[in-house]
Amino acid sequence: MPLGSEPPPILHAATPIAVPFGELFALAVAAEQAGRLDEADRLLGHILAVAPNEPETLHLAGVVAFRLGRHADALALMERAIVHGGNTALYLRNICELYRTLGRPDDALAAALQATAMAPHDPVCLHNLAVIRYERLEIDACIAAARRALALDPALPGAHFELAEALLLRGEMAEGWEEYEWRFRIAGAPSLMPPTDRPQWDGAPLAGRTLLLIADQGFGDVIQFSRYIPWARERCSDLAIACGAEMAPLISQLGPGIRQVRRWEDCPPYAAFCPLSGLPRLHGTRVDSILAPVPYLRADPARAEAWADRLGRLIPPGFRRIGIVWAGRPTHTNDRNRSASLAAFAPVAALPGIALVSLQKGPAARQAGSFFARAPLVHVGAEIQDFEDSMAILDNLDLLVSVDTSVVHLAGAMGRPAWVMLPRAPDWRWLLDRTDSPWYPTIRLFRQRAQGEWHTVAADVAQALRQRFGLTTAAGAAPAPAGRSRDPE
Amino acid sequence: MNDSAPALCACGSGLRPASCCRMDAAKLLPPDATRHLVPLIERAIQAYHTGAIAAAERLCIEVLESAPDRVGALRVLYDIRKAQGQSRAAEALIRRVVALDPNDLAATNELALILLSRGDLAEAELHARNAVRIAPESGQAHNLMGMILTEAQRPAVGEYHYRRVLELSEGRDPILLANLAWNLKTQGRMQEARALYKESVAAAPAIRQTLLGWARLEEADRDFTAASDVLDRMERLFPDDAGVRISRAVLLGRMRRYPEALAVLDAMAARSQNGMLGPDELLEKGRLLDQMGHFEDAFAAFTEGKRLARALSGNQYLDQQAGQLIDRLRGFFTAGRLRLLPRATVRTDVPQPVFILGFPRSGTTLVEQTVSAHSRICAGDELPLINDIANLMPRMLGSPLNYPEALSELWMGDQRDGLDNLRDHYLQKVRQMGVFSPGADWFTDKMPLNEMHLGLIALIFPQAPLIHVVRHPLDIMVSAMSNHFTHGFYCAYALETAATHYLRVMELVQHYRAEMALRYLPIRYEDMIDDQEGSVRTLLAFIGAEFEPGCLSFHENRRYARTASYAQVTEKLYDRSRFRYRHYLKHLAPVIPILQPVIERLGYGIDGDGG
Repeated sequence: MPLGSEPPPILHAATPIAVPFGELFALAVAAEQAGRLDEADRLLGHILAVAPNEPETLHLAGVVAFRLGRHADALALMERAIVHGGNTALYLRNICELYRTLGRPDDALAAALQATAMAPHDPVCLHNLAVIRYERLEIDACIAAARRALALDPALPGAHFELAEALLLRGEMAEGWEEYEWRFRIAGAPSLMPPTDRPQWDGAPLAGRTLLLIADQGFGDVIQFSRYIPWARERCSDLAIACGAEMAPLISQLGPGIRQVRRWEDCPPYAAFCPLSGLPRLHGTRVDSILAPVPYLRADPARAEAWADRLGRLIPPGFRRIGIVWAGRPTHTNDRNRSASLAAFAPVAALPGIALVSLQKGPAARQAGSFFARAPLVHVGAEIQDFEDSMAILDNLDLLVSVDTSVVHLAGAMGRPAWVMLPRAPDWRWLLDRTDSPWYPTIRLFRQRAQGEWHTVAADVAQALRQRFGLTTAAGAAPAPAGRSRDPE
Repeated sequence: MNDSAPALCACGSGLRPASCCRMDAAKLLPPDATRHLVPLIERAIQAYHTGAIAAAERLCIEVLESAPDRVGALRVLYDIRKAQGQSRAAEALIRRVVALDPNDLAATNELALILLSRGDLAEAELHARNAVRIAPESGQAHNLMGMILTEAQRPAVGEYHYRRVLELSEGRDPILLANLAWNLKTQGRMQEARALYKESVAAAPAIRQTLLGWARLEEADRDFTAASDVLDRMERLFPDDAGVRISRAVLLGRMRRYPEALAVLDAMAARSQNGMLGPDELLEKGRLLDQMGHFEDAFAAFTEGKRLARALSGNQYLDQQAGQLIDRLRGFFTAGRLRLLPRATVRTDVPQPVFILGFPRSGTTLVEQTVSAHSRICAGDELPLINDIANLMPRMLGSPLNYPEALSELWMGDQRDGLDNLRDHYLQKVRQMGVFSPGADWFTDKMPLNEMHLGLIALIFPQAPLIHVVRHPLDIMVSAMSNHFTHGFYCAYALETAATHYLRVMELVQHYRAEMALRYLPIRYEDMIDDQEGSVRTLLAFIGAEFEPGCLSFHENRRYARTASYAQVTEKLYDRSRFRYRHYLKHLAPVIPILQPVIERLGYGIDGDGG
């Protein structure tokens, strides 16, 4: 075939060969849907070797490459799919997500706008547009896109959830909590519990009958919403809480004698159930009526003592102890935005007179091994076994500086000072613009000015640390009492 | 070799292997059965003493082929091979004498000296200790201990043994005095050492080693005129002595009279049999050329010096051994396991250790000199003790396993305090070495590459500051090429292996730091130059000591550092050694791909891009 000539259509033409490409493509689609990505990848690669410009194949190969984590490949394939025509609105809709994931919000927005222009009645295009609008912190536009998507498809869970996040971020909690209820219906969201014939609790007193609360979502959510447990108990004295072993010691602190269950089979008969994250709606929480009975979690005194001793050996006296966490759980859907790197803490680590105490867990903890800054870094994350260790350590720090992870909630719930480094478009619970948090009085917020730019946030934190602790002298020149300072922010 | 000749032992003794290194003790005849050979041995001894060496050799071989355990013949053959310079054969023979008759003091003495001269200090020490056990009142035995422990950087113990020799002997042997003087010099006691050298030379004015040692003392103590005088005197006594010439070149180099120093080396080369310099002289020449800005020639001299050092010593990087140990350490020290391991308790009745870690040539001497200028911190220098503990661990913990796996004994009920024993062993040795000075709260241990054992150190000393001296890896490579060191499994015998070992060690450090909470502070050599006061304040604060301005003028710290860096640390901080690699980028090209990732992780760049 001469260069530049049109390739013959291959996917839909009936050809007399034994295994037509259309059949191979169908196999690839099935493999992709079944999660057999390597197989799909191999089949698609085979098709593309023969028909390198076939748009549907390029597009699907891009989806597969994306799911396999080969983001650069994915982008190249999708861009080629768009160039070569086909279902362009679909490709644009998907490439929008890809650009967003790769931290190219301008390209993502352009693609989303182009997609909605080409397919104005496609609610999924509008949903994707809402998502990128949120990420760009264009909240009005986000809400408008989500509402347009819902006008076309009122039962689109993703659009409801996007709308919830935007409304809650703006502090419009009445409507926000209602929309937030769609969170369990999003495709791929883990189900709250096994099927049940009991109703979800409506907040009315349940005299003499059992209410089953479920410690749902991430650890941070559980810590944040567990504050509502005493409120629920006032309405229903017989509580049982389904929660994982990690959270058990914390939940125990919210009331004596609350029954905890680890396995669904062990649940007592209950009249109604409610996820912890559903309690603010029932409570009718508004920005000015957030319950903040801080501290509602406390470190175990014996553990705190043991960590005081250990930290005393690891950190010389005279150094301010600044706890740090630079990354959250990598499987979190928004991890890309909320997690930084240890290297981003460079402006903080350049300060004299401080020691960084890393509480980092997970794969990102490896970064502790190759950090060579002025401030000593003591990586206690390697020795943290559970949240009780984390609490005991927090009890012995001057301050925690962290990205938006569960440790922040722990410090906040303990009433320990914590500075939170937020992405440009933060999680809804941190609201807009403000530097404080009505959820946690001892928390101070440091917001990104541009998406992905942690350096300026860290510089702001460093400046604030300098003021907070008077760090103008060289290390050790003016020893300050370290640890256990209880002074509020 | 003639095919029909019987294959002889590879050691070069002249005996067949079965009568030499592959002798089977079970097949030896009882002494009575070989009594008829005694007259032959007596004839061999007589022949040897009358200078009939060939006859003596023939007789010895005849005896030993029939009775390989006849000590008399072994001794004569040993003397012959030693005189011939066949060191491998000599060592094999004398080793056999000692094995057959462990109470033979003279043979034990010979063996220990051979081991000392080829640098196997651990085994030399073992035999020296046996010598003292055999003959606790022998000056010879104590002298051995003195020499070996001085070399093994335990000079305080060495001094004790030298002084025992003085007590045991009638007069004051000039060579003994010179040995003691050298010992005191390594302890930085320059005045006492000088007085002893003077006494020794007055009694015996023409002993080469004595004069050479004295000249080095004066050079190290920065009395260049005195050093020059001693060398002048030596030159009259030993006009063609290579040791004198190299000392002269080093001295001229320290006086910054580079062209003259170079001329001395060139003259040395011209006079040598093959017109070439030895490995040490080549590196000295390279360093002089480097100072003069002749980088191309300098690196050529370094490369040739390293090549020659490899060829002459047979040493090369023990790649597999290093790799295996590092893999085992990485495999053993993991967060999950460390949670289950106890930590030693902290002794409060002794000064606390401060570990100064780093690759050789990264600036550990500078950091030690700086902090030990502090009134409450004394310098321990390169203490070989962590390695010793690693080697002794199976015995100390009663484990069938080696380090690090032997640490699993800590899970046994009877070894819960095993780490306390390791700690006490270390501290006791430090005390014996005379490291502790009155009023000190801390002492330093700057054994290079102790960072390989960060995990072990943190278990034994959970409170000890771990100061890791970090320097641009390419500068370390230049320095490793321009100096000799044997640390790190002989990695510095070639550029590529130095880079490989450096990378391996840095990755191991990274592993330790990610797996355990450490009291660890990286300190940049470059920062010590750019922001000396800030760095020193950080260092002292991290140790827990008050700032003392005296630490900023560490070059006035009169303590003498034994290591190759001593000439540098007696000068004020200088900029010349920072980013010196830029002159050698072309030469370093083979190792840049190896080091690039770690250069980036450390926050350095290459050439003009910021460091």
